[in-house]
Amino acid sequence: MTKSLISIAACLLFATSAFAQEFNTEAVESREEFRSIDKDVQDLKKEVLDLNRDLFLLEEELLFPANSQVAFFISMDVGEYFELDSVNIKINGKEVANYLYTEREVDALLRGGVHRVHMANLKTGEHELVAVFTGRGPHTRDYRRGATLNFDKGIGAKYVELEITDRVRKQQPEFDIKEWE
Amino acid sequence: MKTKSVLAGLLLTIFAATSLASSGLEGQQAPDFALKSATGENLRLSEYRGDVVMINFWATWCGPCRQEMPLLDELYNRYQRVGFNLLGVNIDDDSSRAMKMATELGVSFPVLFDSRKEVSKLYEVNAMPVTVLVDREGNVRHVHHGYKPGYEEKYLDEIRSLLRE
Repeated sequence: MTKSLISIAACLLFATSAFAQEFNTEAVESREEFRSIDKDVQDLKKEVLDLNRDLFLLEEELLFPANSQVAFFISMDVGEYFELDSVNIKINGKEVANYLYTEREVDALLRGGVHRVHMANLKTGEHELVAVFTGRGPHTRDYRRGATLNFDKGIGAKYVELEITDRVRKQQPEFDIKEWE
Repeated sequence: MKTKSVLAGLLLTIFAATSLASSGLEGQQAPDFALKSATGENLRLSEYRGDVVMINFWATWCGPCRQEMPLLDELYNRYQRVGFNLLGVNIDDDSSRAMKMATELGVSFPVLFDSRKEVSKLYEVNAMPVTVLVDREGNVRHVHHGYKPGYEEKYLDEIRSLLRE
């Protein structure tokens, strides 16, 4: 009788340990599987991001081929005498951009940010750019000033910077247009 | 002949109803814009990313807008502190009339002026008012054309569910 009891207990113990072992192996396996799925998802995410970047670059290259590309940038230095509100850009008499600046955007410009306000395709040759800046000038008066540039578009991309600076001597803002090749 | 014309009429009605109910913008990224507000500030939609935004297109000549705006203002005041914003885009040519009406109605949400109608074109505004709900990710989720009493309940449900996301 005792013998049979002992043998039953031994059998039970053996079965439990075998079950525990099996359970452990299963848990480890599923954890590993989960980790590999997680890695796959991360890889996929990275691939999507890379693809997105490539598509963006391709789109830009196709829409604005390097040899006809012209980009206009707005930058600001100090800005004590001028609080920027909007910029209107005309190329050869045709309005191409009218951009309203929010407080945060003006703040970003004052911190050294440069804003690409417009990008276009232009033929080689002479072109006229008119930029009208509106905002608040000295003594918080409404201020509107234009700046004109006649530029020659050669072969290759052209970058034009519209810079707002302070003229301390006259206590007035100044609007400069610079060409970058 | 009569049956044919009745059928054609029915088809037209169904077509008009479906085109009003669904907008091509739903599920798309909300077109970004910046407009001058009644306080003189320029406001840009993309700067509200992370918040649920309701864009309400209205005009001074639109009766239902007058009914709807105080109700929208209530929603704005109730949910503003939990990440809900409302931009009232006025499409009148003369912004002074819009300012007058907004003051009369006592609305506290930002009122923007789209006198060049560029933003209303972007949002395919072909009825008055038009109410667009944008989620925290910047996607258009619901578009409502016109206003009838009871719509505010729909807005409330939609705002609450978008805020919960």
